[in-house]
Amino acid sequence: MTLSETGESRVRGYLYVLNQSLRASGSAQLASDALREVESHIRDRVAESTGMPNEREVLEAILQRLGSPATVARAYSLEMILDEAAIGGRIVAVFRSLFHAATTGVAGFLTAMLLFLGYSSAAGFLSIALLKPIFPNNVGLWLDEGVSLGGRFPAPPDVTPLGGYWIIPICLFVGLLILIVTHRFARRWIARLRERIRTRRAALVR
Amino acid sequence: MPPEHWQEQLRRGMLELAVLLAIAPGRRYGLEILRHLEFADLVLAEGTIYPLLARLERDGLLAAEWVEGQGPRPRKYYQLTPIGRARMKKMCEEFRVVAGGINQMIERVLGSRR
Repeated sequence: MTLSETGESRVRGYLYVLNQSLRASGSAQLASDALREVESHIRDRVAESTGMPNEREVLEAILQRLGSPATVARAYSLEMILDEAAIGGRIVAVFRSLFHAATTGVAGFLTAMLLFLGYSSAAGFLSIALLKPIFPNNVGLWLDEGVSLGGRFPAPPDVTPLGGYWIIPICLFVGLLILIVTHRFARRWIARLRERIRTRRAALVR
Repeated sequence: MPPEHWQEQLRRGMLELAVLLAIAPGRRYGLEILRHLEFADLVLAEGTIYPLLARLERDGLLAAEWVEGQGPRPRKYYQLTPIGRARMKKMCEEFRVVAGGINQMIERVLGSRR
């Protein structure tokens, strides 16, 4: 079967949406390769649909069997994100994987929250270490309203934070320690999640 | 768990092995692989087979290359790498052990009722 102009437009429309969805997931190289492969698939399916007079029905059936562009793009990006996080360990990929994991169930949500808490604590300690030399009177250990560690902008009148610059190496050490432990745990957890998804969600079965 | 859901889980679990088996005889492109999966009654939302192939390629189980001139349009052909073949054999062995055990249990339960 050879497609009419309307049929060609429908195919181009599908590929356009798929392209946009794949590019949104981050990899231009992946998008280009995937798009080429899916287009080849559609055109092969169209070519083998001989003896079927209704082009629209044929095309819709082919695209329906293929899955929506969002479904296909999601399957690509999920595989990519988890791989990147588990193997490469890039912090952005780990965060994106955690956001995904948080939607997979109660256990996933709680573990992801725990890990976000770990990353936030690490960021807090490192920020104190970084800001203390710049704002010595605003950052430190505060004892006026209970015990708190952090920064106050502007600093309350007549109160100065306890602790001198010695707080910097301590916060640096604690922050880095929490960051390393959290990141290692996150990568291991994502690797396990990846293995589980490989067996359960490698593809959608109708 | 509803029976349909269990069936779906079972097929999903088998998919990676089925894909490796479909490619094992020689170089194949996506649609050819899908036809083999249809033959084995592993009917898929077809578009999701490509991310799986891409992942198997990234994991080094498959090697892929675009070939032009062997059909009306360029096609991406996949073939097993030595690592992929070893993995497939290992998966087949494990599958046989599990399937054999389950078959024996089925025979014991259903066979005695005949």
